Amino acid sequence: MSLLRGPAAGEQPMAGWMEGEQMYADKQLVIRHTIPTNGLSFAGVIDVNNADAVAAALKTQLGGNGDLHLELSRVEFWDVSGIRALVAAAESANSRRRIVLHGMAPLLRKVMTLVGWAELPGLDICNCGEGPA
Amino acid sequence: MNAEPNAAYDEFRHEALLYRGLADFVDRTVPFIRGGVEAGESVAVVTSAEHFEALRQALGSHARAVAFADMADVGANPARIIPFWQDFIAAQDGRPLRGIGEPIWAGRSAAELAECQRHECLLNVAIDRATPMWLLCPYDLTGLNPEVIDEARCSHPYVTEGLTRRESGVFRGVEGSRAAMAPLPMPPEGCQRFAFRRGDLAAVREMVAAGAVQAGMSKSRTEDLISAAHEVASNCVRHGGGAGDLRLWRDDGALITEFRDGGRLEDPLIDRVRPAAHAAGRRGLWLANQLCDLVQIRTLPSGTVVRLHMRV
Repeated sequence: MSLLRGPAAGEQPMAGWMEGEQMYADKQLVIRHTIPTNGLSFAGVIDVNNADAVAAALKTQLGGNGDLHLELSRVEFWDVSGIRALVAAAESANSRRRIVLHGMAPLLRKVMTLVGWAELPGLDICNCGEGPA
Repeated sequence: MNAEPNAAYDEFRHEALLYRGLADFVDRTVPFIRGGVEAGESVAVVTSAEHFEALRQALGSHARAVAFADMADVGANPARIIPFWQDFIAAQDGRPLRGIGEPIWAGRSAAELAECQRHECLLNVAIDRATPMWLLCPYDLTGLNPEVIDEARCSHPYVTEGLTRRESGVFRGVEGSRAAMAPLPMPPEGCQRFAFRRGDLAAVREMVAAGAVQAGMSKSRTEDLISAAHEVASNCVRHGGGAGDLRLWRDDGALITEFRDGGRLEDPLIDRVRPAAHAAGRRGLWLANQLCDLVQIRTLPSGTVVRLHMRV
């Protein structure tokens, strides 16, 4: 278990959370459970190479109760197929569960808006990612 | 036939207006706009700030009923103009519409001009024929080369010149519009090159990032370019035969990032139709158009070329 690394400028992880067990890893991405909340933290690159695996990992976490929180401040790069994995997971969740995104880089938020995925019912973007200007 | 700005129409009418300088522009477009406003139609004007300010003054109280937009914002990258008109059409809920769109002016670069001309052709394909919209595209005879005017006659089914409004005898038709593509100049000898395959996307991003930094591009525009380049490269490995050829060079104040692959893009509107939230369709080229100053796409017998332009 390790404390989350300090965030990059303008990005903020979920306050007071710690990383738990690793639940997925490949050569460009590590996903860990977070403690104590029902969440996952991502570090690395999510793109066409691992989007299917990320979608599968997310779906296994949507079986429980409450919102699923994702800590994204250490995602270095996220492409459209990676975002699609997130959107597919949000759409497969039942209507009472949402995926809440924390610490999104400005570019990721911009890309989600440009491709029409910023306002989906199952997806909530936490403004904690917006640092002081 | 004399000009009749209030002529009835019930389908998409794409018309070039050939004019001579600002005063003539105002004289020719004000009756068209007034006719629309008085008939209760929705009217939008997308042109240079100088042109729409002059129109605002000349229109007086009619100007309040008109939506004005600066073509430098809406259509700096001309591939963003069709989505603008599609949004305008969708917002009117079937009401008749009039539009003025002036994407071509004398200061456009050669690459921008080529893409503006492609945009004019693709309007014939993109706008459903049953849309009750009259779109007037002004061309300034005093500032533009004769070849540009000749091309306007080929890309518009109707042309107004002086007081005469008539069908263009040389319109290339909707199918011809779909296929019309100006050839691209060859990449320079000795430019940076990288033949990539699946698994090389990180290296593609690094090469593009290095090129952008070397060219002095700002951090946020570099991130935009990397994102767009990654999507195009990812299309190459998924749809273009599993591999692609990346080239980078500087040209006329811009950094050009080119991708070639063996695939074919059959839908000429693939990069300029706003993706629906739940559609599984490809979003990469749409995104490239929103992030880059200009995107040039050509499908050749040998495959597809995509060029991303970013000013530096």
